[in-house]
Amino acid sequence: MSAAQPSATVVKQAIQWMLRLRESGPDQRLQRKCEQWREAHPEHERAWQRVLSLHQDLDLRAIPGAGLALHTLETSERRLHRRQALKLLGGAALIGSASWLSKDLQLLTDWRSDYSTGTGERRSVTLPDGSLLQLNTRSAADLAFDARQRLIRLNHGELMLTCSDAQANGRPLLVQTRDALLEGVNGRFTVRQRDDCTQVSVSAGQVALHGAGSSALHWLDSGQHWSIDAHGPRVVEQPDMDAAAWADGLIVTGNMRLADFVAEVARYRPGFLSCSDDVADLRLSGVYRLADTDALLELLPQTLPVRLHQRTRWWVRLERAA
Amino acid sequence: MSSQDSVHTLYSEHHGWLHNWLRSKLGNAADAADLAQDTFVRLLQRRDQLQLNTPRAFLRTVARGLVIDHWRREELARAYCEALSHLPEAQAPSAETRELLLELLERIARMLDGLKPKVRRAFLLAQCEGLSHKAIAEQMGISLRSVERYIADALYHCYQLRYEDEL
Repeated sequence: MSAAQPSATVVKQAIQWMLRLRESGPDQRLQRKCEQWREAHPEHERAWQRVLSLHQDLDLRAIPGAGLALHTLETSERRLHRRQALKLLGGAALIGSASWLSKDLQLLTDWRSDYSTGTGERRSVTLPDGSLLQLNTRSAADLAFDARQRLIRLNHGELMLTCSDAQANGRPLLVQTRDALLEGVNGRFTVRQRDDCTQVSVSAGQVALHGAGSSALHWLDSGQHWSIDAHGPRVVEQPDMDAAAWADGLIVTGNMRLADFVAEVARYRPGFLSCSDDVADLRLSGVYRLADTDALLELLPQTLPVRLHQRTRWWVRLERAA
Repeated sequence: MSSQDSVHTLYSEHHGWLHNWLRSKLGNAADAADLAQDTFVRLLQRRDQLQLNTPRAFLRTVARGLVIDHWRREELARAYCEALSHLPEAQAPSAETRELLLELLERIARMLDGLKPKVRRAFLLAQCEGLSHKAIAEQMGISLRSVERYIADALYHCYQLRYEDEL
């Protein structure tokens, strides 16, 4: 494939064209000249497309909340250099690095969690007792297995647990979230920590929900979906998506609002994905593959009256098709 | 000897030493254990044969890169949290947005690693603030010509990193 790679000279030319166009603002004469250059050779066009895509990836202006980016990048770089100089190159100055960080911030938790996943990542771990723990995208969980219990703390995100009693030794298998303490008796279930509640779906077997007080105990049965918040547990009669499909790399929806679907897909891709209000209530049913969310989004205009408005690779908005 | 075997030998002979080395850098046993593990995982993923003449120097090089990545994440999160604390509550982005932006910043910071400070600053002023080359030249007190060269250099540097696997 090496013959297909644009040479350094051509890449640098493409960069020059891109910067000139960006600096000049709308200038049709310059645009035409750039197009002529691109058409002059396939190698030019290839280099151009790559430079364009790279430039979009590095464009922070379009992203909400990016106002702090410059400060954050510059400050952290300075400190990183100081730390490198101190500890890696120079002497033996030791400062407990972890103590610098405020630990209460949610966005820091995954670096402290036993198991965590990044955006779009899924992870399977066989636990010491033989149970299978699967983590969905952007999730983090801690393990606390001891002589009394087998406890999994879901810090954020979503997990699927396939229970095994192979090495149970009488210890209960527990999943703790902000809203609930669940005990897997057998079978398989998914637990998702949402901003305002915990959702539990039982694919097989049974799950016991321990209430805040010691007395209350609910049994969640196979095929049931529950939502648990400060007001207590309630059954969700007709969920708009299959809670366990992600483990197979799929989103399976049934009459789901587009806005909810978009929020769901956004969990699996970096950047910002949103939809305008006038398409938010459109409904969709179908099976979508998570492996390539770009392709997934491109499918939507085929079945719904929407179009993709893509400002950068990381900023996509669904709008009503004209 | 296959690459897998040689990693295995490296592991059994030097894991303890590497863990101690990392611990002395990080001051934290749990992080040191994680990064020691990551170092060997990194080696297993390499396609080429390992250079075994000076195994410890080699391991240290790989581990040092991971330590720097680890610190970079910490420093980014720390600087970002500080910046956020100066914002009025109403303007603070959601937890989700914060996480995404931090992830993006990390990717960009890693890409810009190794650039000269002036090149990096000129580039970031353009990409983050959307300043024109002229405005950047004024702010940094350098010539327009230098700004143009810096930004083009930075983009070419990123281009090489992004597409190097395909070269």
